[in-house]
Amino acid sequence: MVVQWDLYEMYLALLQAPLYHLIIEGLLMVWVAWLLLRKPKIRKPKLTEKEQEELISEWQPEPLVPDTPEDHPALDPFVVEGKVGKYVCVNGRDCLNLATHNYLGLVEDKTMEDSAVECIKKYGVGSCGPRGFYGTVDVHLNLETRLAQFMELEEALIYSYGFSTIASAIPAYAKRGDVIFADEGVNFAVQKGLEASRSDVRFFKHNDMKDLERLLEAQRSKELKNPKNGKNVRKFLVIEGVYMNSGDICPLPEIVELKSKYKVRLFVDESISFGTLGRHGKGITEYYGIPTDHIDLIMGSLEYAIPSVGGFCVGTSYVVDHQRLSGLGYCFSASLPPMLAAAAITAIDSMEKNPDMFLDLNNVCRQLHSALSSLHQLRLGGHKDAPVKHLRLAKSTGCNNHDGQLLRQIANESMKRGLAVIVASYLDQSERFLPQPSLRLAANRLLTENDLDKVIKILEDSCTAILS
Amino acid sequence: MIVGGHGDVNPNSSWLNGKGFWLSYGLGVLLLHLILLCLPFISTAVSWTLTNCIHNLFMLIFLHIVKGAPFEPLDQGKTRSLTHWEQIDYGKRFTVTRKFLTVVPVILFVLTSFYTKYDTTHFIVNIIALVAVLLPKLPHFHRVWLFDSNDHSY
Repeated sequence: MVVQWDLYEMYLALLQAPLYHLIIEGLLMVWVAWLLLRKPKIRKPKLTEKEQEELISEWQPEPLVPDTPEDHPALDPFVVEGKVGKYVCVNGRDCLNLATHNYLGLVEDKTMEDSAVECIKKYGVGSCGPRGFYGTVDVHLNLETRLAQFMELEEALIYSYGFSTIASAIPAYAKRGDVIFADEGVNFAVQKGLEASRSDVRFFKHNDMKDLERLLEAQRSKELKNPKNGKNVRKFLVIEGVYMNSGDICPLPEIVELKSKYKVRLFVDESISFGTLGRHGKGITEYYGIPTDHIDLIMGSLEYAIPSVGGFCVGTSYVVDHQRLSGLGYCFSASLPPMLAAAAITAIDSMEKNPDMFLDLNNVCRQLHSALSSLHQLRLGGHKDAPVKHLRLAKSTGCNNHDGQLLRQIANESMKRGLAVIVASYLDQSERFLPQPSLRLAANRLLTENDLDKVIKILEDSCTAILS
Repeated sequence: MIVGGHGDVNPNSSWLNGKGFWLSYGLGVLLLHLILLCLPFISTAVSWTLTNCIHNLFMLIFLHIVKGAPFEPLDQGKTRSLTHWEQIDYGKRFTVTRKFLTVVPVILFVLTSFYTKYDTTHFIVNIIALVAVLLPKLPHFHRVWLFDSNDHSY
């Protein structure tokens, strides 16, 4: 039944409205009036005049140029002339170069240079914009296709800088509320990526699978306590193929097993292992004979084995394509100069054409390893197949600073004797787990047995000169 | 889809401040009410109470229960644990948009009371609906979620 309502009737109803109703409406009106008169506010600490004065007088401006100790390494810089290949000219002296990461010795390869020069003639020097706007040219797309083909994966994506590849790829996927398991020994780029992700990062002991399993088990039992919430937590596992800071190789088979057992997403930084490990240089997966699709994202660098600049990520299209809009280093940075991409393509060409170079490199790595392990005053760290070797003092002084100084002196002495080696440098304040100071040696495919003998002799002599 | 930029990492905090939002909101509520009025066998009083309840239910769900943003903001997931109400103006209190969204259900309640002739049954239903949307708007309930089993330790 439809009742006729008119305003007069309702006015009458208002007059007969129950008291409690009028009181409630009255209170509501008062509250609304109070609310409307409030000013927008953010919580700001209020300081009295006195406090302000105090703060101002307390402030001590930092000097523009801080006091530097006399023996600071930056005061005595090395001047490098010419090309940094197998030999490098430091301070006017030709040295055998074990300081730069030129594992395949492609820096000397004239074809890389020629392809870069040819590309400059066509495209000029820069790319004039980020990939998403005007920065994409055919060379970039070719390089991406070639990298994907080389790694036998669906899609690749290139960044303009090796460091930012890893530092952007991790936060593109891992966000607040997610959990990342990472090795303690990861390099600085990975650490920055972990930090930028704002995720809950849990470090396991370097290459310690028991410790990793303990952390994964703890996370699983935490999730089982609250399944509804646990289901929303994404879990990542970040490791390096070959650890830059220690020269160790990750135990990938065990990690892949844990990955499938605990259902975590596996990201591998292959900056060093790409182009150095495996029969065809495909990296850590080929080294262990594990199919690449067991790994969710492979991140690599074009700055070590490949003599160019930049970095890349490879994986399934579903995973990699996400970075084209969410990888901040990809979206908001000018793309790789085409000439560098062209040089990288030529490097991949020569890696495919001449797979024996990986055998050569592997031989050099093993020979260098056995040679270095014969040193008495220096302790060798790292895996025999890894192209990066770390030498630490056999008798540590117990103080990192002092060790570092001694090693720097050894490096300087070696350089005077014709061998370029360096002390691995870290940002001491910012490193998560500061590695012990060490001489970092990079193997090079072109090193002969004579060269290796020379390396050992010079290192022995310099150690004797400095340490005794 | 990734959104944001120009210093605004999460558009969810600002799109309610847009031009014409108040008008669109009012028209939406009016449309809902007209549709309910059109339904046969429903008296004016019931249709007003329904308008109020449906409006408040939607407000409760979309402003105070659902968390996160429907797109991917540039904040590394900061909003994943925040309701839309908490995201508005990045949590600044007593802004114009917040005042508007608080006053609307009150006005709707007053109108509904008037058109239901201050009937006690309608009053009870409407006041419950009103309290349900006003309580979570109070500053004391910022980042406090009742009946919520999720662990927000992150």
